[in-house]
Amino acid sequence: MRNLGRNLLLFAASALFLAYVLAPVAWLVSSSVQQESEITSRPPQWIPRQPTLENFEAIFAAEAKQVTYETRRQGDPATGGFIPSTARDLVPAMWNSLIVAVAVVVLNLVVGVPAAYAMAKIRFIGRSGSIYFMLSTRVIPDIALVVPFFLFIHKLGLLDHLGSLIITYLAITVPFTVFILVSYFESLPDELDKAARVDGCSRLQTLLRVYVPLATPSLVAVVLFTFLTSWNEFLLALMFTQTQASQTMPIVVAAFTSDFTISFSFINAAGVIAVIPPVVLAVVFERYIVSGLTAGAVKG
Amino acid sequence: MSARIGALPGAFRAAPVSRYDQAAAMWLLAPMLVVLLAVAVFPVLYSFWVSLFDLKLTRPHRVPFVWFENYAIVFQDPLFWSSVWRTTWFTLMSVTAILVIALLIAILLNEEFPGRRFLSAMLLVPWAIPYVANGLMWKWIYDSGYGALNGLLLQLDFIDKYMFWLGDPDKTLALIANAFVWKEVPLAAILLLVGLKSIPADLYSAARVDGANLWRRFVHITLPGLRPAFMLVMIYETMMAIRHFDLFFILTEGGPAEASHVLAWQVYVETFRKLSFGTGSALAYIMALVTFLLAFWLIRMLGRKL
Repeated sequence: MRNLGRNLLLFAASALFLAYVLAPVAWLVSSSVQQESEITSRPPQWIPRQPTLENFEAIFAAEAKQVTYETRRQGDPATGGFIPSTARDLVPAMWNSLIVAVAVVVLNLVVGVPAAYAMAKIRFIGRSGSIYFMLSTRVIPDIALVVPFFLFIHKLGLLDHLGSLIITYLAITVPFTVFILVSYFESLPDELDKAARVDGCSRLQTLLRVYVPLATPSLVAVVLFTFLTSWNEFLLALMFTQTQASQTMPIVVAAFTSDFTISFSFINAAGVIAVIPPVVLAVVFERYIVSGLTAGAVKG
Repeated sequence: MSARIGALPGAFRAAPVSRYDQAAAMWLLAPMLVVLLAVAVFPVLYSFWVSLFDLKLTRPHRVPFVWFENYAIVFQDPLFWSSVWRTTWFTLMSVTAILVIALLIAILLNEEFPGRRFLSAMLLVPWAIPYVANGLMWKWIYDSGYGALNGLLLQLDFIDKYMFWLGDPDKTLALIANAFVWKEVPLAAILLLVGLKSIPADLYSAARVDGANLWRRFVHITLPGLRPAFMLVMIYETMMAIRHFDLFFILTEGGPAEASHVLAWQVYVETFRKLSFGTGSALAYIMALVTFLLAFWLIRMLGRKL
């Protein structure tokens, strides 16, 4: 009896949990494949009767099927014609997001791995000072960086250039990267360090040959966090990008949401596309992310 | 929580610093120091410097030094104080809801049952979603014409006609907070779960032997044991809520009227709509100081064993 009660309770709680976490996303996905008549029905059509991929086609096959003012007016059976001409900006914007994210990941590793090793395994004067320094840069709010960054970027002539995003994203990712790596390196035995040094390895060789291979889980976590942070970042991108040359995915998607002439199903399709890469990464690498979050304690 | 950053074993600590190690450490640290000085420390100091000038991009050639006048202007602005109030209210609502929901989820995931691993994987879905997509999704759910919230409540007979949810100044902040909470809950739940797992199981069995029931075990063992994790989540989420911008931009743009005009939005309006970088910087600096004080507390907790 007791066990039955426990199982029922766990089942009910799990169902409630899944509804809370997944229902909004399910509604987003369902809306993205609905025809115009369904998406504008009251009460809503929860499950589309005739799902259509027209919206996704408009985004991915935009080059082949130019959407102009005229073709938009003629209408499209699925969306009633409310596909914006900016639909074709989404794929280039995702490329921009990808380039920025990969560059930020690489720079984070180049800068973060040696620093974390030094702070975790080497005894030197200024060690605790540099740890405090790293910790305090972790908590600078991005909104406080907006004005000075804008002025610098303006002066450097980097406005509307991907470089401005890569540089500024370092400020919000490097401290977290170093923090996670320091926690992880510290958990590895010091004896390895001594053995490698006795064998004649330099500090850099010790790091690259001994610690880096052992630190793979934390490196995976760091790569994922930096990638997701860059991919999702909005505020700084909003300030520094102006045209297709540098607009990232969040900027293009945000522009859709404030345009009342665009079909809701199209906006939701753009939302689905924005959501798929980070969610797939997070769910596939769940184990690494949870351990990284736990070690890093907080994401900042 | 077990972030014992900087805790070195005793023997290691006693060894003398070798000259080679000192030099190697400096070289290894140099890239990080250069990057952080350039992209974090210098901008923050420069921001303070800018806040002492009457810098308006609408008038780029005359930039008088005005001491602390920008701060005076900010403090005399009634909109600043009402934004402080709205930010506080948003933060209180969000952090309370995050703690309660995350605690319930952590308790669930702390149990052993088939499907638990699937649930913890699904927990990361809201965490991974970009804030912009999160805003888009909730804007559509709250939509006054065809949104899911109206549809659901109507089908359940809670309302008799479609409502203009985000247009109601009394509900706007709570609705934005709901979207914020949904996205922040996973991280909080993960941290609380670690806290739950760190409570020794013997405590529970001992209490059971002493005849403590489920509720008393929860109040006397679980809650005190969770204190550090609770504090961590509370401070961190408070910082996140105070500075939050994205959802306000996507969902309401500070509206209706000024119903969701919070501090982060005020910084945006001052700097990028009025192009008044002086007062914008002053505002951003005030926000940074507040979150810095909170963060200082957090750092002391994380770096306690230094």
